[in-house]
Amino acid sequence: MNITIENLTKHFGDKTALDIDRYDIHSGDIIGLLGNNGAGKTTLFRILLDLLHADSGTATIHGKLDDGTYVSYNTAQSEDWKHYTGAFVDTGFLIEYLTPEEYFSFIAKVNGISSETLAERLKPFDSFMNGEVVGRNILIRNLSMGNQQKVGIIGAMLSHPRVLILDEPFNFLDPSSQLAMKYLLESYNKETEATIIVSSHNLAHTFDICTRATLLEHGRILMDYNKDYASLTSDIEKYFKGNAF
Amino acid sequence: MRDRRHPMFERNMLMKVFGYIFIAFWAVYLMMLGFMCYQMFDGGGHEAFDMVDGGMIFILALDFFLRFAMQETPAQDIKPYKLSPIPIRFLLNVFLVRMGLRIYNFFWFFFLVPFALFAVVKFYGIIGLLSYLLGWWFLFVINSYWYLLCRTFVNRNVYFILLPIAIYALLIYFGIFSEPAWLFDACVWIGRLFVTCNPLMYLLFFALAIPLFLINRKLQYHSIYTEISSTERAVKVKPLEMHALERFGEVGEYLKLEIKSTMRNSVIRKQFLTGFYCMLLFCLLFAFTDIYDAMPFMRIYICVYCFSCLGVMTLTVIMCAEGNYIDGLMVRKENILSLLKAKYYFNCALMLVPLLISLFPIFKEKMTIIDALGCMFFTSGVVMPFLFQLAAYNDSTIHLNQRITKSGRSTKVQMIFSSIALFLPMLIMYTLMNFWGERTAALIMMAMGLLGTILHPLWLRNIYNRFMNHRHQIMDGFRNSR
Repeated sequence: MNITIENLTKHFGDKTALDIDRYDIHSGDIIGLLGNNGAGKTTLFRILLDLLHADSGTATIHGKLDDGTYVSYNTAQSEDWKHYTGAFVDTGFLIEYLTPEEYFSFIAKVNGISSETLAERLKPFDSFMNGEVVGRNILIRNLSMGNQQKVGIIGAMLSHPRVLILDEPFNFLDPSSQLAMKYLLESYNKETEATIIVSSHNLAHTFDICTRATLLEHGRILMDYNKDYASLTSDIEKYFKGNAF
Repeated sequence: MRDRRHPMFERNMLMKVFGYIFIAFWAVYLMMLGFMCYQMFDGGGHEAFDMVDGGMIFILALDFFLRFAMQETPAQDIKPYKLSPIPIRFLLNVFLVRMGLRIYNFFWFFFLVPFALFAVVKFYGIIGLLSYLLGWWFLFVINSYWYLLCRTFVNRNVYFILLPIAIYALLIYFGIFSEPAWLFDACVWIGRLFVTCNPLMYLLFFALAIPLFLINRKLQYHSIYTEISSTERAVKVKPLEMHALERFGEVGEYLKLEIKSTMRNSVIRKQFLTGFYCMLLFCLLFAFTDIYDAMPFMRIYICVYCFSCLGVMTLTVIMCAEGNYIDGLMVRKENILSLLKAKYYFNCALMLVPLLISLFPIFKEKMTIIDALGCMFFTSGVVMPFLFQLAAYNDSTIHLNQRITKSGRSTKVQMIFSSIALFLPMLIMYTLMNFWGERTAALIMMAMGLLGTILHPLWLRNIYNRFMNHRHQIMDGFRNSR
C-alpha cells in the first residue's frame, strides 16, 4: 500500500517536531528513516498511526487490496487502515503481564487468525527468537529489553500487514538477532510486497535493507534518496559526520 | 514545584474547577456541621466543646481513613533523590516534617473553627480559641504519622488494614460505648488542656509525635531499600488458557486480559481484593446482622452498596491500567469498544457474589427477591453506566506492578465520580421511597436498571465514540504519566 503525507506539521510548544510538505511512500518500498535524536522520526510514526494529533496536514494510506478494490484512508479520520497496518514503536505496544505466547495468541485472535495459522506464522521467527522468547512461561515484563523488542516486532508482523512500521527495530538486539531481523524484513517484503518503514540509528543496517533512505532534521526532510543513488551512503554519512564534529 | 511541573497540571481546567467546587462543598458542609454541633450541644450537661472533644476518636478515625485517598508515603517521593549526594536520613526528615505541615492537616478546621468560635471564645477568649485549634492541629499531625506507619504496612500487605480498623473499633467499643466511658473522659480532659492553654498539651504532643516520627523514619528508611531492591522474580507463570471465554470472540479475549491483569499485577490485584473484601463485608453485615433492619431506606441502600462498592472502587480508575499499553490497543480497530464491553461483563459477573449472599436475607424474609434484583440491575444499569463515563475522561496511567510509584492516587474527577456514584443512588432511592413506598421504589429501580442494562451496547458505544473523539488528549495523558 502507498502512503501519502501532505502538509503535515506538529509543534511541541515553540519547537517544530514535524514539518513535511509532501512525502510519498510507494507500495513495496522499504524506507529507512534516519536522523539524530529529536529529528521527528517517532513523531512521524505516531502521527501516521494516529497516536498523535497533527497540527495540520494529512497522512493517507491508500492502494489496491487483494480483490482489486482501491481504498484510501486518512489515518486520523478512519479506523479501517488498522486492518492493514502493523507497528511496534515502543513498549507501550506490549501487554507486559502476558507471556509472549499469550500475547501472540491475543493478537492472533483479535485479528481473526486461527491457532494453526498462528503456529505457522511463528515458524519463520524461530531463529530470531533463539529459544529465549517462547516456551519459558515468563511474563513479557520479565524478559530482557532485547527479547521484549523481539516480541513487539513479531507481534507487529503476525497479522501480515500491508504496511509495517518499526521504530528502531535493531535497538537492544544482539548482533545475531540484528542480522536475523534484516533477513526477516527483506524476506517479508519480498513475499508480501508490504510497505515497510523503519527508523534506525544504525546506518549500515539501514543501507543494507532499505530501498530508499530519508533523512530528517528538526522535523523536515533533508535528504530523500533511492538506493540506486550513487552517493547515498556518502552523503548521509557526511551529514552525520558534520553534525558530530 | 513537583506538582506544578507535572505534565498533568495544566490539563482539564474544567475538572479542576469541579475539584475546587467539590472541596468548597465539603468546606461549607463542615462549616454548617460545626455550627450545628454547637447548637446541638450548647446548654447540655457538658460544655459543647467537651461533647465534641469527647468524640475526638470518631473524628480522628474518619480523618485516618480519609488519608488513604489523600496522603502518600515519603518512600514514594524519595526514589528520584536516591542517587543524589543528599543523605537519605536527611531527606526522610524533610519529607516527614513536610508530612506534618501538610495543608490537609488543617482540613478539619472547616468544622472546628466555626464550632470553636461559638463554643470556646465565650469562655476562654481568642487565646483559648487559638490554643484549642493548635491542640487539634497537634492531633492531626500525630494522626498523620500514625497513618504513615499503618500505610507503610498496608503497602506491604493489604491485610494490615485490619490493624487500624481493629484498634479504632476496640477503642470506640470499650472506651465510648462501655461503662465507664474512660476514653470519652480522657478526650474531654485533653480538650480541656487545649482550651486552657495548658503546657501539658505540648508535652503530650511531643511525647507522642517524636516517637512516632522516629519510628516512621526508621521504617521508611528500611521500606525505601526494600522497595527499591525488590524486583519481581522472573518466576514461571502458569499459562491461563480459559478456553471457555473463546466463545465470546474478541470480547472473550479482553475478558481473559481483564482476569489476567487482576491476577498478575500487584497494584490491580490489591485494588480488586480491597473492593472485593469491602463488598463481602457489606454483604455479610447486611445478610447476617440486623443493624440495618429497622430502616427500610438504609436496608435498600446498603443492598445497592453491596452490589456497587466493588465497581465504585475499581471502575473509578477504568482504562488507567490500559494506559500502559494503550498504543498497542489503539492500532487495532475498535479494540477499545471490545475492551469496554469485556470490563462491563466482568463487573456484571462479579455481582453474582452479592446476589448469592443476598439469598440468605431473602430466605430469612428480611428482603424480597425483587429488592435484590432491583439493587443488582440498578447497579448494572444505572451506577455502572455512570462510572463507565470515566473511560472517556481518565488519562492518567496507573503502574501495574510497582509499589514505589504513586499508583492509585485518585484525581479530582475520579473522586467526584466515586462520590456521586455512592450518594446519587441514595438520593434517587430516598425520592422514590418517599413518593411511592418501598415496594414500588424497588420495582422502579429494577425497571431503570433493566433499561440501562439492556441498552448497554448503546451507552458503551457512546462512551467509545467520546473516547475516540478525545483519543489524542487521552493518549498524551497516558504517555506523560507512565
